[in-house]
Amino acid sequence: MKKIIYILLVTLSFTSCTDVIDVDVPIAEPRLVIEASIDWEKNTIGNEQLIKLSLSTPYFDENNIPMVTGADVRVINENTNDVFIFDDQNDGTYSTNTFIPILNNTYRLEVIENGETYIAHETMTSVSDIDDIYQSTENGFDEDALEVNVQYTDVANIENFYLFKFQKVGDLLPDLIDMADEFTDGNQITMFYERLEDEDINQVEFAPGDVVDIHFYGISKQYHRFMQLLISQNESGGPFSATPVALKGNCTNPNNPDNYAFGYFRCSEVVIDSYTFQ
Amino acid sequence: MKKITFLFLLISTTIFAQENYTISGIVKDQLNGETIYGATIYLNGTTIGAQSNEYGFYSISAPKGTYTLTISFIGYSEQSQEIVLDKDQKIDFEVIEETEQLDEVVIESTESESVNIRTPQMSVTKVQMASIKKIPVVLGEIDIVKSIQLLPGITNSGEGSSGFNVRGGAVDQNLVLLDEAIIYNTSHLLGFFSVFNADAIKDITLYKGNIPAKYGGRVSSVLDVRQKDGNNKDFHLTGGIGSISSRLAAEGPIVKDKGSFLVAGRGSYAHLFLKAAGEENSASFYDLNLKANYALGEKNKLFLSGYFGRDDFNFSGAFENSYGNASANLRWNHIFNDQLFSNASLIYSKYDYDLTLNLFEFDWVSSIKNFNAKYDLKYYASDSFKLDFGVNGIYYDFDPGQINPTTDDSAINFLQLDQKRAFESGVYINAEHKLTDKITANYGFRYSYFNRLGGQSMVLYENDQPVVYNEALGIYESGNPIGETEYGKSESIKNFGNFEPRAGISYQVSESSSIKAGYSRVAQYIHLLSNTTSVTPLDVWTPSGQYVQPQLSDQYALGYFRNFNNKQLSLEVEGYYKTVNNRLDYIDGSNLIGQNTIETEVLNGESRAYGLEMLLRKTKGRFTGWFAYTISKTEQRTPGGSARGPGINDGDWYYSGYDRTHDFSVTGSYKQNDKWTFGANFIYQTGRPVTYPDGQYTYEDLQIASYAPRNSNRLPSYHRIDISATYVPNKRPQNKWKGEWIFGIYNVYNRKNAAAISFGQNRETGANEATRTAIFGIVPSVTYNFKF
Repeated sequence: MKKIIYILLVTLSFTSCTDVIDVDVPIAEPRLVIEASIDWEKNTIGNEQLIKLSLSTPYFDENNIPMVTGADVRVINENTNDVFIFDDQNDGTYSTNTFIPILNNTYRLEVIENGETYIAHETMTSVSDIDDIYQSTENGFDEDALEVNVQYTDVANIENFYLFKFQKVGDLLPDLIDMADEFTDGNQITMFYERLEDEDINQVEFAPGDVVDIHFYGISKQYHRFMQLLISQNESGGPFSATPVALKGNCTNPNNPDNYAFGYFRCSEVVIDSYTFQ
Repeated sequence: MKKITFLFLLISTTIFAQENYTISGIVKDQLNGETIYGATIYLNGTTIGAQSNEYGFYSISAPKGTYTLTISFIGYSEQSQEIVLDKDQKIDFEVIEETEQLDEVVIESTESESVNIRTPQMSVTKVQMASIKKIPVVLGEIDIVKSIQLLPGITNSGEGSSGFNVRGGAVDQNLVLLDEAIIYNTSHLLGFFSVFNADAIKDITLYKGNIPAKYGGRVSSVLDVRQKDGNNKDFHLTGGIGSISSRLAAEGPIVKDKGSFLVAGRGSYAHLFLKAAGEENSASFYDLNLKANYALGEKNKLFLSGYFGRDDFNFSGAFENSYGNASANLRWNHIFNDQLFSNASLIYSKYDYDLTLNLFEFDWVSSIKNFNAKYDLKYYASDSFKLDFGVNGIYYDFDPGQINPTTDDSAINFLQLDQKRAFESGVYINAEHKLTDKITANYGFRYSYFNRLGGQSMVLYENDQPVVYNEALGIYESGNPIGETEYGKSESIKNFGNFEPRAGISYQVSESSSIKAGYSRVAQYIHLLSNTTSVTPLDVWTPSGQYVQPQLSDQYALGYFRNFNNKQLSLEVEGYYKTVNNRLDYIDGSNLIGQNTIETEVLNGESRAYGLEMLLRKTKGRFTGWFAYTISKTEQRTPGGSARGPGINDGDWYYSGYDRTHDFSVTGSYKQNDKWTFGANFIYQTGRPVTYPDGQYTYEDLQIASYAPRNSNRLPSYHRIDISATYVPNKRPQNKWKGEWIFGIYNVYNRKNAAAISFGQNRETGANEATRTAIFGIVPSVTYNFKF
């Protein structure tokens, strides 16, 4: 239902004028950021995995993101007790090529950095197949604008959560969309991705030849809660959007709870595809 | 029971003290027969007097003798009459307006707007439509809700936000009544305009505190809006053509001097705001006000009133959105005798919301409706003792949401959220008691009772915790459901009863000044769920019950009131302290729309507000207007409670979104001559508390903002100047057509007042930006009003 609010927000934005201004914002102490996305592409071995560690910075700081090296990073399969050590690549990334993904197994992430231990738990979550990817103009907000449609079928009678990531090749930033089956349980669902013209950010409608990369993740309920909040706070801010709040992931610091890490440890099966507009 | 016995003792002692006779009657406007609310009727050379009530009725009692009776209502000529009081008698008055111009470009404001220093009622503001019509407004659209925000203690979240906030209260804590019917949403077009059509409204009264016992159900304020009865002498048309909407009202007698009617309509021009987005989008609103009354003899009068208003949005056919209020009220005034006045009302009101998302092939509807029966009596026991008492009962029907797929192959399933029912009842008694020539008190109570009715099932949670703190992750989550209890339609889920004492006292320091003190306790049983900065039309009301407690407020106020310069100037200074228990607060990431188990998204908190308000008014002369200043603080606190954990913002007190440290406004109107009148406003407010980011980090190739504690920052201050000029062309006295032009400029120096500041990444450069949303820059307008 947040989508509805977002849509209303779009209407309101047409009724008002906006401009970019300078604002003094408070500055918090830097915090460790753990981007531990264990993404297992469907029908692959999924042995190569990467985890990124960095630090948060002041909001308007445009310097490079400080990456964190020298940490001890490992993932443990709690069902099998297999341990996967992620090697420090000295650029803020930690990698392994021995990972073994198993659906519905619970994994534990352990990061030891600067004397602090961060722990997270997550379950490897499956994803539906994509039934079809096609282009159209009649879906979406604008009946004349091209959009790409991704069709999948939700598994009935169980709670399922999904994350879509669309990125036009050549774009700086991806678009994320979270989905729950609360209102669509067991149905075939079509997700569209459309571009409306926006002069402010030099955005134009999709045109033949444009390529869109598509990621379709199966995600846990807890991660869906996190992403839903992340996405809605990332794209909102008008008078009809919810008051922004702290975004806490699952990377806890049991010895020093206030010093939790930003980011998330997710374990997701993913379908990766791309579409070229005709 | 002790209190009640005490009250009756008081009545009997005062009644039998002297041999008294009573004069009673109705006060009306001679020109159109509208009853006059707030006219003063007094016996010269005594302190005996009364004010006419909302139906124009007055009653005064005095010992046998010969008196000069005077009736005054400023803006109207004073009338006096010799009376020999040796028996009870009935005298109706028809008062004559001093100026006879179109909607009185009045020089003089009404008596009821200068301070009544004698009555113990405080924290009340009465505004005549004539005064509101002189205030410059955005796009020339006269707006009651915007105009009252120029008074001390009343604010809102800025342009384009619905409702208003009184003394740090939330929007849902205002009881808004239109001819006694509850109005659930006071806004058109997401808050740009209010639902009250100025042509159909007679007067408004706003209680900011010290709420009279006859009102209940909302903890912050009561806005009592009364529609015109309609001219019972001649048929008239009034109307206006503005830049946003046009208005037309017809009124006239049904049977001359016996009954009259009023029909008023207002409609906006579509495609108004959304032009920028292309021709396919539209936004529009309309209102219809109806009123009819008929006198059955001298002692009975029937009133029928109705309101219907609607907003429609259409966004290139991708989605349509429509919402509005509807209400109807049938009233019966009965005068038992010259000392006992009664009114019985049967009221219906409804608010519904409909969203059709063709894009996603579904339709969403939600509504709240209520049936209200009410019986109010006023007993004018003696000059020094008057008693208000009555009962009422409201049956509520809540439909928090229904989802219907709109096509056969829609991906959306049908869903009906649990419908909820409740019955709220109240009984009250309140005395206005003149203890000495200098001291008058009012005291009484309301007993309210709320029954959350069955007909639905309630979820049971593990450890009775609908919300639970996840210790490991440091977040609040939904509790673990362990079962359901089914409640039959005849069963009750939960009951609440509250004793609500109300009291006030005034001490007249001198002829022209007084000190007043007041206390009120009010219970509120239904709550508007909103975790957004401004309430939105799709926010849903929810009743108290098993998991949601009634809000309970206690307010104390102390004030100094003074008229000076022959009542040309008045000064009101009031301090208040208010606490509200059981104010809902929302967990991080709460999901309120389409939510069947609201209890899993909220925590129980409290709020407190205190402040000092000052109002200096000039009510007579060529120049009229006021100067208002409020300094105040509003905070809230939400500990973890039964959910455990630290609560919101670590369970500390934090600024609520309605906090405004300084709120200052000046509004004035100057009548140059019969043709020209000029008006101006200046408004300054401390920016409202908001939440800013205090850091950023990279996740999924995006820059994610991390936010500081809730409401720990502030928007820039809000200020603007508006001006207006009213031109009344030369008119020939024999000409029935009377017209006037109103030229206005809103926000003269084009300040971009931030309605919101949002933070996000520029999609082209990737850099973080703060984006200000400003609703209205400088807006000129022209309106033409006519009367025929």
